[in-house]
Amino acid sequence: MDQGQLLSYLSFRSVEFVREGRRILDGVTFGVERGETLVLLGRSGSGKTTALRLINRMLQSTGGSIWLDGQDISRMDPIQLRRSIGYVIQDFGLLPHWTVEENVSLVPRLQAWPTEKQRRRTQELLEQVGLSSENLGLRSPHELSGGQKQRVAVARALAADPKLLLFDEPFGALDPVTRHEMQQQFLDLRRKYNLASVFVTHDLLEALLIGTRIAVLNAGKVEAIVTPDEFRHLDTPVARSFLETLPPALINQQDAVRP
Amino acid sequence: MDPTVLRVLLNDIAELTGEHIVLVAVSCGIAIIIGIGCGIAGTRHPAVRRVSVAVASVLQTIPSVALFGFLLPIPLIGGIGKHTAIFCLVLYSLLPILRNTIVGIVGVDRPVREAAIAMGMTDTQLLRMVELPLAAPTIIAGIRIALVTNIGTAVIAAIIGGGGLGVLIFRGVASVNTMEILGGAIPAAGLALLADAGMSWLERRIKIR
Repeated sequence: MDQGQLLSYLSFRSVEFVREGRRILDGVTFGVERGETLVLLGRSGSGKTTALRLINRMLQSTGGSIWLDGQDISRMDPIQLRRSIGYVIQDFGLLPHWTVEENVSLVPRLQAWPTEKQRRRTQELLEQVGLSSENLGLRSPHELSGGQKQRVAVARALAADPKLLLFDEPFGALDPVTRHEMQQQFLDLRRKYNLASVFVTHDLLEALLIGTRIAVLNAGKVEAIVTPDEFRHLDTPVARSFLETLPPALINQQDAVRP
Repeated sequence: MDPTVLRVLLNDIAELTGEHIVLVAVSCGIAIIIGIGCGIAGTRHPAVRRVSVAVASVLQTIPSVALFGFLLPIPLIGGIGKHTAIFCLVLYSLLPILRNTIVGIVGVDRPVREAAIAMGMTDTQLLRMVELPLAAPTIIAGIRIALVTNIGTAVIAAIIGGGGLGVLIFRGVASVNTMEILGGAIPAAGLALLADAGMSWLERRIKIR
């Protein structure tokens, strides 16, 4: 039987990652469909960032397999794979010597899109993330605020019509109000582009707001995969310890966290 | 001073300054190519980094007069003349260029490098679009040190027939002729100051961009 039919759009099948004798991921299995956001929730060192970096082959898994759109990623060219996956990290990673526009059009440029098409796409995306107004496109990244930088990074991740988006605690360094704005924008963009995304965070409120499902990681193993509603009643060790961080009123009111 | 003697001295200064510039330009040019090349290779392969930095560091510790002397009996690269002098000057210029190339590239912010790779840059693209532009001010600073030092060291090239302003200085010392010593020393110092100012300008220009 065609293996592709059994698989989700993005599939982890018993993935393990061992480094220097330490088992960082162990038998991780999950699937993500188009339009879905899987949040990887866990404490520091639980392996969530490692799992994310296996997807765009910044790290190579030592066991199991990862499938994207019916293809085993270990058989794909890592460069082409990475160009088809958007990646947003907490520290932005914008190229400091390039303008905002040049940063956004990085992947289209690597893929040698025609200049005019690159330009149009860049303008469209800057508008999309709310940066087109003040002529920010020609500025350097260091002239922008943290929130603006992360908007540029999101626009860059979306630039070349990616198959998948990866977010590694993208809004962790932002002030609460900006973080909230970015989270709302993320939901808007997901609705618009119907993209599959994997979102790493250790912020439970963020996980409940953004995730269509939440995978709880405990020391490299998946403890549970649940919807945000189910998470409130989840009785596993890590889930419990995360739920204990919330004020009781928030847990009991079903709609307090999720709009 | 007798105008004829002065004219001869000025002629010598002009000619030897030209020779000096050629010595420095050729040796620095070769050192830049080797230094940056080995530096880049060193950031890709730790073994290359260890060996090249160790070799360049040891070379730097040999007194320059001795290094010129060592090379005299060696066939092909040694002997009397300009090529031995240039070879020697290349060895002396390597370390600052090599070290600053490595420091500059390794010093690129981790998130910047990480994002560039994650966006799908090949290693060559990473080098050309990210690492070299961001390391450029540091590399230029290394070239500046090498160049200024080289202008001073090139004076010693005269003792093995390499020519340059050292010829005047050594001749002046031998004949206790202050005018000749100054005729060699002042242009050499001037060249060094000029090179330093020029490189400093270049450094600032690149940083602003």
